[in-house]
Amino acid sequence: MIGILLAKFKGFIRNPWTFVIFTGMSMLMAFIFGGTGVDKAYVPIHGDEKIKDSFIGQELKELEGFQFSWMTEEEIKEKIESGKAEIGVVLGDNDFSIIVGVDSFNADLVQQIISGIYQEKLEREQILLAAGQNSSDEKNILNEMDLAMEQPIFEIKSASFRGEGAFVYDNSLHRVFGFSLFFVIYTIAYNVLPILIEKRQGIWDRMILSPLKKSEMYVANLLYSFITGYFQVLVIFLMFRYVVGVDFHGRFFETLILLIPYVFSVVALAMLISSIVKNVQQFNAALPILAVSMAMIGGAYWPIEIVESKFLLMLSKINPLTYGMEVLHGVAVYGYPMEELLFPISILILMGVVMMGIGIHLMERRHV
Amino acid sequence: MIELVDLTKKFKQMYAVKNLNMFIERGEIVGLLGPNGAGKSTAISMLSSLVEPTSGDVRFENNSILKKPAPFRKVVGMVPQNIALYTDLTAEENLLFFGRIYRLHGKELERKVDEVLEQIGLTDRRKDVVKKFSGGMQRRLNIGVAMLHDPEVLIMDEPTVGIDPQSRNYILETVKRLNEDRNMTVLYTSHYMEEVEFLCDRIYIMDKGNLIASGTKDEIKQILSSEKTISITMERLNDEFVEVLKQNPQVNRVTTGEKEVTILVPRDANVFSEIIRLAESTGIELNSVDNKTPTLEDVFLHLTGRALRD
Ligand SMILES: Nc1ncnc2c1ncn2[C@@H]1O[C@H](COP(=O)(O)OP(=O)(O)O)[C@@H](O)[C@H]1O
Ligand SMILES: [Mg+2]
Repeated sequence: MIGILLAKFKGFIRNPWTFVIFTGMSMLMAFIFGGTGVDKAYVPIHGDEKIKDSFIGQELKELEGFQFSWMTEEEIKEKIESGKAEIGVVLGDNDFSIIVGVDSFNADLVQQIISGIYQEKLEREQILLAAGQNSSDEKNILNEMDLAMEQPIFEIKSASFRGEGAFVYDNSLHRVFGFSLFFVIYTIAYNVLPILIEKRQGIWDRMILSPLKKSEMYVANLLYSFITGYFQVLVIFLMFRYVVGVDFHGRFFETLILLIPYVFSVVALAMLISSIVKNVQQFNAALPILAVSMAMIGGAYWPIEIVESKFLLMLSKINPLTYGMEVLHGVAVYGYPMEELLFPISILILMGVVMMGIGIHLMERRHV
Repeated sequence: MIELVDLTKKFKQMYAVKNLNMFIERGEIVGLLGPNGAGKSTAISMLSSLVEPTSGDVRFENNSILKKPAPFRKVVGMVPQNIALYTDLTAEENLLFFGRIYRLHGKELERKVDEVLEQIGLTDRRKDVVKKFSGGMQRRLNIGVAMLHDPEVLIMDEPTVGIDPQSRNYILETVKRLNEDRNMTVLYTSHYMEEVEFLCDRIYIMDKGNLIASGTKDEIKQILSSEKTISITMERLNDEFVEVLKQNPQVNRVTTGEKEVTILVPRDANVFSEIIRLAESTGIELNSVDNKTPTLEDVFLHLTGRALRD
């Protein structure tokens, strides 16, 4: 088994181009579409000095996903027209308007968040109103209310991020994850394919006649695919973490560990495809179709949250890439603890085991 | 040593091999001859325990290899029909790799690799990547890999297809030497008559999954004992001459070349004067009329009505 691995790595060193190309592609795409490490969405905003210093201004400052930049209305329009910003916000005393340049999901998100803040402002004013006119108490009441809000009487269960509602969108991290998980499908698949080729050439027959065990042959080949696939994503993540400077929110190491189930399931998927196709040409035709559609409905190109078709959402539930993205997002963007990620991780492992089982079974049955 | 008993392989409704009975004794070179699609590779795959037969048995030293393939696998060396090598690796790396999977290590492995490289004449190309080799060199390495573990039996599936005559001779000589020097048993599969005639003590001929003849070279040629082959050459062939030959009651079979006609006639027939008369009557200018010793090619023609290579 070590012998097979050694031979594979020797072949890799002599001919690393598949690996290099797909690693390079992932980086390039993530770089182009992800911007250079700016992970807060830039939103120009306008309002009176009074509003800027008020409750609304304070709340906006504390928002994580956005970087609000104060300027005049004219400047906002200019920013949007020149494509420097997707949307802009103009704040009034009791209402606001959003100037939409590019109809992105960020527009909806900003709309939701700001109307939430106005709602809260309104509530606070009403509470003050109801509490009476004595202005010296005003501060106390508000302080107490804030305290009460921070220590709710009832523990509110955190909603699973699988549910609907607002989502945090970290653009650069998303692109790095998306393109890595997408392109690694190719690298892995093209490293599993030799099983089929070597079977056809008769190399496997040679090994079967030797004292090698069948299981060793499969393990060596699949392990090699796993290692190259994992190595590819590792290189990409390292590059973006340390060279480009993308923020993994302090969970870089966890991200690397939780990558394993996804890579495993893709190895299994590649095994399954290799066992079904009639020949290498068919494999070459099927792979891009499968990989691209997996990326589209799995949220590699855009967040899965914006996919609305029921049918596509259903398909996304049997797509390893969906769960791969979910796990990586969960750990690095949302900062979920392990328990929250157990579900997608188990699904990935389960899918991996099933596809691997069927794949090897079919591969053994075929007369090459 | 090895015995095939009613060996049969069916793919869907098609018999690739049907009721094949064969035996191979220690130290023999046995030829398995047949055109493409005859079922040779399928037979060999079953014989070497790589493909399970639909029915029948393969026995090695009187034990079925279907139930217990291990003892046979240990002593068999298989040269597949395709180039089964890592083409990104060098000749030496390939040998080292396949040697290792046979549990050879260290000095022993190195010695063995050197020895095989010498045998197949690739010592000075050992550091070259297989991809860059000519077809003949790849074929030689393909054979070399099968000899690393000193097999007692070498099974070769068309080891010379598509290569230059020089490499081909080299391979034939190597096989002969292995057999003579080491008493290696060889099953040699081919659709080239000359190779089998040159190498083999005994020959099996297959066609469309069936065994159509078997025995020593002489025994097989005896099949033609009731007939003889006459070769007629001329300046220019015409259809009329071929037609009158075909209609002649003494002539069993007519095959034509560019300036040549070959006919099969009964052994005791005296047809020379008849041929000359027919040539004159159709305006043919004869160059020669020869009595040929039959070849295996003729046997195949006789048995199947088809030439071997088409
Ligand atoms: N795996 C297979 N599935 C279906 N038919 C096959 C398979 N392998 C061989 N055959 C058929 O069996 C016949 C014999 O093939 P083969 O043993 O390769 O012949 P040969 O080696 O003499 O050229 C051919 O008609 C071939 O098409
Ligand atoms: Mg064949």
